[in-house]
Amino acid sequence: MGAISASAPAQAPIAASRWARRWLPWMLLAPVLVYLAVFYLVPLAIVIVSSVTDPSPSLSHYRDFFTDSFYLRVLSRTFATSLIVTICCLVLAYPLAYAMARREDTLVVAMLTVVALTFWTSFLVRTYAWMVILGNRGPITALFRMVGWDPPPEILFTRFSSTLAMVHILLPFMVMALYSVMKKIDPALLRAAQNLGASPGRTFRHVYFPLSAPGVVNGCTMVFILCLGFYVTPVLLGSPREQMLAGLIGSQIEELLDFGEASAMAVVLLLVTLGLVALYNRFVGIDTLWG
Amino acid sequence: MTAQRRIDPLTWLILAFIAAPLLIVVPMSFSTAPSLEFPPPAWGFNYYRAFFSDSRWLQPLLNSFIIALGAAALTMLLVIPASFAMVRHRFHGRALTNLMLLLPLMAPHIVIALGYYSYFGSLHLTQTYAGVILAHTCLSVPMVFLTLSAALKGFDRNLERAGANLGASPLRVFRHVTFPVLRPAFVVAALFAFVQSFDETVVALFISGRDAATLPRKIFDAMRTEADPVVAVVSTLLLAAVIAGVIGSRLWQRRRKRVNALAFAMQ
Amino acid sequence: MTTAADSNAQPQGAHYLDIVDAVKTYDGVRRAVDGVSLAIPKGEFVTFLGPSGSGKTTTLMMIAGFEEPSAGDIRLDGRSLVSIAPHRRNIGMVFQNYALFPHMTAADNVAFPLRMRGVERAGQQRRAAAALDTVGLASMANRHPRELSGGQQQRVALARALVFEPDVLLLDEPLGALDKNLREQMQVEIRHLHRSLGITTIFVTHDQTEAMTMSDRIAVFNNGRIEQFAPPLEVYARPATQFVGGFVGDSNFLDVVVSDPARGIVGSSTLGELNTAPSALAGGTAARLMVRPESFRIDAGSDAPEGRWNRCSVRIEGSVNYGDSVLVMGRAGEIPIRLRLSGSDAMPLREGDTVRVRWRPEDSSLLAR
Repeated sequence: MGAISASAPAQAPIAASRWARRWLPWMLLAPVLVYLAVFYLVPLAIVIVSSVTDPSPSLSHYRDFFTDSFYLRVLSRTFATSLIVTICCLVLAYPLAYAMARREDTLVVAMLTVVALTFWTSFLVRTYAWMVILGNRGPITALFRMVGWDPPPEILFTRFSSTLAMVHILLPFMVMALYSVMKKIDPALLRAAQNLGASPGRTFRHVYFPLSAPGVVNGCTMVFILCLGFYVTPVLLGSPREQMLAGLIGSQIEELLDFGEASAMAVVLLLVTLGLVALYNRFVGIDTLWG
Repeated sequence: MTAQRRIDPLTWLILAFIAAPLLIVVPMSFSTAPSLEFPPPAWGFNYYRAFFSDSRWLQPLLNSFIIALGAAALTMLLVIPASFAMVRHRFHGRALTNLMLLLPLMAPHIVIALGYYSYFGSLHLTQTYAGVILAHTCLSVPMVFLTLSAALKGFDRNLERAGANLGASPLRVFRHVTFPVLRPAFVVAALFAFVQSFDETVVALFISGRDAATLPRKIFDAMRTEADPVVAVVSTLLLAAVIAGVIGSRLWQRRRKRVNALAFAMQ
Repeated sequence: MTTAADSNAQPQGAHYLDIVDAVKTYDGVRRAVDGVSLAIPKGEFVTFLGPSGSGKTTTLMMIAGFEEPSAGDIRLDGRSLVSIAPHRRNIGMVFQNYALFPHMTAADNVAFPLRMRGVERAGQQRRAAAALDTVGLASMANRHPRELSGGQQQRVALARALVFEPDVLLLDEPLGALDKNLREQMQVEIRHLHRSLGITTIFVTHDQTEAMTMSDRIAVFNNGRIEQFAPPLEVYARPATQFVGGFVGDSNFLDVVVSDPARGIVGSSTLGELNTAPSALAGGTAARLMVRPESFRIDAGSDAPEGRWNRCSVRIEGSVNYGDSVLVMGRAGEIPIRLRLSGSDAMPLREGDTVRVRWRPEDSSLLAR
């Protein structure tokens, strides 16, 4: 780059500011990066290292995990449940988001408020609500008794109750993901399709659904990943004999005090999760995952 | 596919499915029975009284407040300069830094909870305010970063240039122009961090306890052992706080719009 | 026939704002500003005119201090500005989207520069009120920008840029967002302000009509360079380059070769020998002849007016009737020609008709190819 032809003293402040400009971003980032390194990366590293060194250096934990049918069942159960929850959320959220996206009036503001309310309520509170509803002295059981099913079936502390509650808890995520994409679909495109001869059904299939696809992918990825690592609800509402991966990790620590084993499972969970995120990033781009 | 006036029953049903279960905790909290019988056989304020007089509930409530405040403050302090750096500067390693800042959001809490259990255990930071605040700060960084980045990206740089052009030094530009315009976003980001810390359960289960036990941890334990309606009381209070917050912000937004429309019409 | 050098001849008087060989390079490769030099006397209204990406806004930003020249200098009243931070340059600027502070009232916006300069509260309020009054917005002082219309915001931005009596006023395409009537009204008001304040003004636009009506002189930008810096009429009638001729106003271009520079005769392969003004180009030079569409007259043949006229036949391919004139598109031989006929010449012409037209040598410009 050419030097500035003005007098020499003018060079000094410009040179100084150039130096500052080069290092300024790093100076601004240093606090948070150092902080994360010390208080996040280190504990993460501890988990990874422990999985192969606790109680003694070996890959035995991983070997156990991938050969023992018990662990493999937990893994497949976790995947299966996550898949079921994701599909149920999609099926329920799509019509709702669709109805909300087509309107502009105060009613839709009310609906969004309701969805926002549930979105902001803690997982624990919503889990407790299901505990009450599905409990053996709750309204569902009462309903069973009323139709003559006595003693009523145990629905709490089963895979069903935990799945149902997870669908309920993760539904707002899916709704918001779908809604934000659907809102941007230009109604003129749909009118154009009909004008060109497509019936409402075909317009949906060939125009609307493809346009809503980014929201579907976004929502499903988010819900699936959240479900894989879900701890609170399956532990509180699920069956203790049919645990999911996060719950199993927890009980390895609490009951068996086997840190190495738990760490190995945690590493597996982490790798699967990060792998999914990486996959999403490769095909879509990570910036869109959180809107 | 024109917009219809009526909403079909399926939509109402789904909306009901989302909202109704929450509502059940409210009447439950007014039950006086010692079990989760619903509908409650008798009504009263028993469990409210029990909650507000029990230090085993009030202490965790206070703890959660203090911890959430601390985590929110620390997160804001760390992330505000970082988001300026990420949005306004181009440099090598930006993509990697972006990944680092979002990592705590991507990894399941149970994984890092394990790490904190061992790490903070050996540092004697478990069951202290400091430990939980330090952990919750990490977990809040991504959300606050995303919120602040979005606000910064939408910020009109010409406002800062105008400030400088009119005679304000860079520091005065930040004080008189950048900060006031970004203040709403700062508030929202801090709120996100606060709520996230207040509600966080998994990590708290592993590293908070005794004197520094958080409210979610206490709720979790209570749900596992007692499952009595006191939890309904806490749930109702939390629900009320969320309702107040969400409806309050909607009303505030509408009030701003109405003021503008009125002023415009009066010209 | 004038050359580029003649067009840039400086009028007498001190050069108040001097841009000396300014260059702005991005990433070491792209030259957004490629050696721009301008000498602007005090009190002149200069327009930077050019298409998007021509470097006019970048040059403006360098004057304001938001871009640093990669080479060259910018001097105000003899002092170099380049090392002075933007907030110390005392230059007024109106941004494209006005950049009014949304969290302050109009009055606070206008008082802001005074506040930054340490003027006491009473003085701030008094001078801000006076500035708002000058632009006719005294009653809107306590409104916030979002409560003001586009035109009103624009005026507040003007008041804010002028309240501290800057040395220079910069305007970055300020009228782009306004509708036609409001734009024309604002053009008049800005000109009026300029004349009453006598402030050196630089106005950036891509709209050539705006440049023509408002400026003392126009600097035509293209690809980071200035192709001509001259008063509007000269830019229009005597464009220095083909780009200027084509960008400002409508024009026809013919490829010619200079035959006799002293007598102003050029040769066209299609139209034969043509008369122009005596030129500075050497004989045998390949050049372009530019004739504006409105320079043509219908040649009835019977009347033979004084002077040397050029004549040709045009085969009509289409026409558009504008009411006060007719734009005729056709061909002279193979060369596409546009004619703008008005008055008695503006008669209905059909596709396929051939019409004979003439134009005067002085109405053409000879440009190097």
